[in-house]
Amino acid sequence: MAVEMTMPILVVDDYKTMIRIIRNLLKQIGFENVDEAADGQEAYEKMQKSKYGLVISDWNMEPMTGYELLQKVRADETMKSTPFIMVTAESKTENVVAAKRAGVNNYIVKPFNAGTLKAKMSAVLGDF
Amino acid sequence: MPAANVAAQVRTSLASLKASDLQDAQIMEVLKLAHQLTDTMKLFFSSLDQSICQEFNYIADYISRTRDEIAALRPNDIKTSRIPSAGVELEAVVGDTEKATETIMSAAEAVLCEESTDYDEYRANVEARMMTIIEACSFQDLAGQRVSKVVNSLRHVESRVARFADVMGVRDADGYESDAEKAEKARNEKNLLNGPAIGGPETSQDDIDAMFADAAPAPDLDQSSIDSLFD
Repeated sequence: MAVEMTMPILVVDDYKTMIRIIRNLLKQIGFENVDEAADGQEAYEKMQKSKYGLVISDWNMEPMTGYELLQKVRADETMKSTPFIMVTAESKTENVVAAKRAGVNNYIVKPFNAGTLKAKMSAVLGDF
Repeated sequence: MPAANVAAQVRTSLASLKASDLQDAQIMEVLKLAHQLTDTMKLFFSSLDQSICQEFNYIADYISRTRDEIAALRPNDIKTSRIPSAGVELEAVVGDTEKATETIMSAAEAVLCEESTDYDEYRANVEARMMTIIEACSFQDLAGQRVSKVVNSLRHVESRVARFADVMGVRDADGYESDAEKAEKARNEKNLLNGPAIGGPETSQDDIDAMFADAAPAPDLDQSSIDSLFD
């Protein structure tokens, strides 16, 4: 199925700079409908109100981490199938394994570039 | 005369008194016994005083040495100068890097949005913004100097504390975490919060990709493949 380039994407990170970087990268690869949240709690509240085609989330945030957000999303019937990519500085194998077990669709370690983001999004959403 | 010998004499005198008819006990005998008892007690308390005195002297000496070592730590200097200034320097680093990032990103976004169709004008605009980015990168110099100052302060504190611990023979004790520290530690463990690794990611992107490749969904079947299932 063709990827809908206007789909809303939710970017979750407590650093505004990182959100800005991801927003710019997404724009470069053709996605401009981007919403943002500063932590897992805010993201979850937004997801309860709107449907997103993809969530791109950091891990280490307060009060709710991206890991906790992932677990909540996958436990919620209304949003459990939302594609979820973790973009994080957490690079231990235990983190990757835990995220995979929790149902993450893909995992990007920081620092990363536009090519990596596009490749992982394609792996999750399909070619675009 | 040692206390033990006096005590033995007292026992002997008491035994002799008991053996004799107490009605005939002479006052002098009783007084003699009382003196012997007093001497015994004097010797006993004298030795006790000396022993306690020595203990107190040792404790006073230890307290005095501990005070000297704590003074050598210069805790007031650490508390009022070194730690606060390290905090200020780090806050300045955060501020400086934030400003530089804003400048760099704005310049980059402006270049990406540049719509001039005139080559010379386009080139001039791009060059101007590239120079802005290059100039903004000077934040690394200032940030590096500030972080070096903080590292020096931390090394200073570390060496003083290490010396104190060595000289006093101090070992770490359990149970000194505040409730807030315990809660943070528990949260970090539950959420696997390790932070960025030193020297680059601990697990490479290629290794991560390999972990996800195993779980790649089966490709969609085309129509002829589907049809063949019904033959």
